Amino acid sequence: MHGWGITERLEAWSGSVLVLGQGTLYPALYRLERQGLIESEWRTTANNRRARYYALTTAGRRHFTEELAQWRRMSRAINLVLDASLA
Amino acid sequence: MESISELVRRLRTLGRSTDMERRMGDEVRFHLEQQTEKNIRAGMAPDEARRAALLRFGGVESVKESVRDEYRHALVEDFWRDLRYGTRVLTRAPGFALVSILTLAMGIGAATAVFSLVEGVLLRPLPFPEPDRIVRLFQLDATGRRMNVSEPNFDDWKARTHGFVSMAETALSASVPVSGGREPIVTSGAAVSREFFDVMGVTPAVGRGFLPEEQRVGAAPVAIISHRFWTARLGGAPLEGQPLRINDELHQVVGVMPEGFAYPTGADFWTPREVAPPQRSRTAHNFQVVARLADDVPLATANGELSAVSRAMKGEHGDATWMADAAAVPLQEQLTANARPTLVALFGAAVLLLVIACLNVSNLQLARIATRRRELALRMAIGAGRGRILRQMLAEAALLSAAATVVGAGLAAAGVRAIVAAQPGSVPRLDSVGVNGTVLAFACGVAALTALALGLATVLRTSQHELRASLAGGPRTMTGDRGRERVRQGLVVAQVAITIVLLTGASLLARSFVRLLEVDPGYRTSDAVVLDLVSPFSRDAAARSRVASFQQELLARLAVLPGVESVGLVNDFPLGGGRYTNGQFLEMTRVDEFKSYEDVGRIGDQAKARAGQAGYRVASAGYFAAMGIPLLRGRLFDDGDGPDAPHVAVISESLAKAKWPDQDPLGRFVQFGNMDGNLRGIRIVGVVADVRELTPEAVPGPLLYLDYRQRPSTQVSVVLASSTPAAVAQTARQAVQQLDPSMPIRIRSIDDALELTLSGRRFSLLLVALFGAAALTLATLGIYGLVSYLVTERTREIGVRMALGAERGDIIRLVAGQGVVLAAAGVVAGLGASLGLTRLVQGLLFGVTATDPVAFAGVAIVTLVVVLAACCGPALRAVRVSPVRALVSE
Repeated sequence: MHGWGITERLEAWSGSVLVLGQGTLYPALYRLERQGLIESEWRTTANNRRARYYALTTAGRRHFTEELAQWRRMSRAINLVLDASLA
Repeated sequence: MESISELVRRLRTLGRSTDMERRMGDEVRFHLEQQTEKNIRAGMAPDEARRAALLRFGGVESVKESVRDEYRHALVEDFWRDLRYGTRVLTRAPGFALVSILTLAMGIGAATAVFSLVEGVLLRPLPFPEPDRIVRLFQLDATGRRMNVSEPNFDDWKARTHGFVSMAETALSASVPVSGGREPIVTSGAAVSREFFDVMGVTPAVGRGFLPEEQRVGAAPVAIISHRFWTARLGGAPLEGQPLRINDELHQVVGVMPEGFAYPTGADFWTPREVAPPQRSRTAHNFQVVARLADDVPLATANGELSAVSRAMKGEHGDATWMADAAAVPLQEQLTANARPTLVALFGAAVLLLVIACLNVSNLQLARIATRRRELALRMAIGAGRGRILRQMLAEAALLSAAATVVGAGLAAAGVRAIVAAQPGSVPRLDSVGVNGTVLAFACGVAALTALALGLATVLRTSQHELRASLAGGPRTMTGDRGRERVRQGLVVAQVAITIVLLTGASLLARSFVRLLEVDPGYRTSDAVVLDLVSPFSRDAAARSRVASFQQELLARLAVLPGVESVGLVNDFPLGGGRYTNGQFLEMTRVDEFKSYEDVGRIGDQAKARAGQAGYRVASAGYFAAMGIPLLRGRLFDDGDGPDAPHVAVISESLAKAKWPDQDPLGRFVQFGNMDGNLRGIRIVGVVADVRELTPEAVPGPLLYLDYRQRPSTQVSVVLASSTPAAVAQTARQAVQQLDPSMPIRIRSIDDALELTLSGRRFSLLLVALFGAAALTLATLGIYGLVSYLVTERTREIGVRMALGAERGDIIRLVAGQGVVLAAAGVVAGLGASLGLTRLVQGLLFGVTATDPVAFAGVAIVTLVVVLAACCGPALRAVRVSPVRALVSE
């Protein structure tokens, strides 16, 4: 997926809640790539344009899984706390 | 494993920064286009769509900058990672690291120490404003030799040239008695003409310069003093009411020059030239001329004009001037001209030593690569490119080289202190030499180059094929890797070759030195004491004859001191001043031919045929005995040659040969008014043997000795021949003080005086020899290391050979033979290079040619013997190899 695609997808999936400056995505992508969590290459798009496509690496996928689990635990904990205190 | 895979990925993602910029640009452009198209599809006008897209994206530049930060962060991180890794690698091999660092430190230290000399002496601009605009002007005689300048010629230059904004003449008096400070001393001072301080661009730091009314004949004497003299002698006291007695005349001190100003070299005071009457003779070469080039006038232009003017002047004055041409030489070049060849040769030697040190460390690294093959192969296998490996190697080399630079700078600082303390006579400006910022920058530059060379060399010699192969288990061939072995052999050959060059240079200098010591200078070189006595200079005849009477009384008292074999005096000691060289005398037809300079002028056309050149010497009869200068013909001065008797002279053999070949000089008359203003005829009564003045390598010059009672001289050196010089020095000093307590005295032994003339040579010989010895040591270690390595690599082969019945002698020949072949190749290459390079030090040689066969053969033999000895150890170890163990060790 290329950078613009990622921003589009983020907006769509978040129901337009996450509408950041689109540019802020790129430093993050470069950092992730440096950390070896994603990799990228030039490819042609459906309408024959040259674009940089990003994909998770194995390490990235593992990292993602860990982070996701961590997030789930965290958000669940927060929700439990909130539910308990508001109830 | 995780860190390795991360490393591999990073290596693939990180290209060079230009790639990064292009990728970023392309990516952002694509993004904006996509967003713009989407906006257009949503019904916006194209312009509006693009604006909206940009707005949506945020600041393009700030995004790019954030990305660049990420990238830079990575570079720095990588660098630190490399350094940390390198440190770990090196601490795991402390022996290798230590030897490498010390070897490099030696090379860097030597190069830095010599560079600090080069920087302080040759490169650092003189401490004057726009120093490159200051030039020395010389008259050139018909043979192109540089000479001092006569005043009428100076005046004409000043009037007729336009390339100089200011021009001044200086006359340095090297030994002048000065009192008025703490105690009477003898120091140097210069009479300087009006524009002197304009030329130098420097004005007094305290007080003022000379006023016009102080710059005319008969003006009250004034002086400007050096900062050194002011602080050391006058205690930095206010100038008012502190007159100095210079040459028996009270001078009011009106100014103090800034600290460090000492031009002409050594001057402690300056007086106005104009207080003495102008000089009219065009052949009285009494002045040194300095000038400042006009703005925008290149040196070549000014030089061309000066030369044209001077040649025109020659046309106008003919034989009345010796000047055939003239030249302007940058002051800095002129001041350092004598030291330049020595320093350049030394610097070359130091650089060669540094190269050898690098080769040695390279060789060590290469040997170590063998043990690191698997590590490197692994890194390559998982995707590290050559660039990545190169960076790692560079980081390791940088660590070694940085450590070596720290040690080397320490060595250099100590070395420079030792050199400056030793005060080699031939090097000017030594006080400005030290390990300073420029020198340290040089050392760092050298270190960086060294690191780069080492790192590159290591990587280039580590082929990928070899590394890939070694991953499969490491080579176990019988004779190691031929390619790498060849490189190591090449390194050893190069080391030996450079060593030969250094040693050849050292031995040529050493042979020159020995030849120099063998030269008979024509006078005593030991067992004598020299007393330098300076009485106040005076033009007054009565005052001068009083000085002569004092000297006569002193000689009489010194002659009877216990232990004194003979005693005499001379105005210009052979190992000292060289002040009265190249005087022009005229032969006279009868003793009273010339009564005035008009009489001299009248001989016109004959002047050239009658003129002769000689050094002007004033001596006592005892001088020749005290110095061991034999009388060849005629007689020396005797009791009959008093002040009122006819004036007589003794001449040197070379003067007799030059001026009166095949004729008898005895009984001829000359006048030497050019040197002492006295036109009275002088009868030649004797011929003495030649002496080599200033240095033993000098060609004996023509000399004319006059009797000190007839032509008194205020500056004399008294020579006392004695087999107990130390004791005589003491009693002689007391004798002088009894006669005149205010007389400043300098006493030295003739050995010391001679040593001073040799110290420059001794200094460069010592340094080059030191570098040569260090080079030989390194080259020997290199060969020893290689042969040892070969023995280890071939343990199995040796075992097999011995098992099959090889004799010990065969094994020794096999092992040592390799080392000797390499050494021989290095010797041949080195001798070839020396043939070309030693020509560059031709000017430093004496009595040997640059291709002296004895020096070349000697160096070759010494090197071969040392190398052979170095090969013996490993060879003997080889024959002790047990066949069984060797075969089982696999």
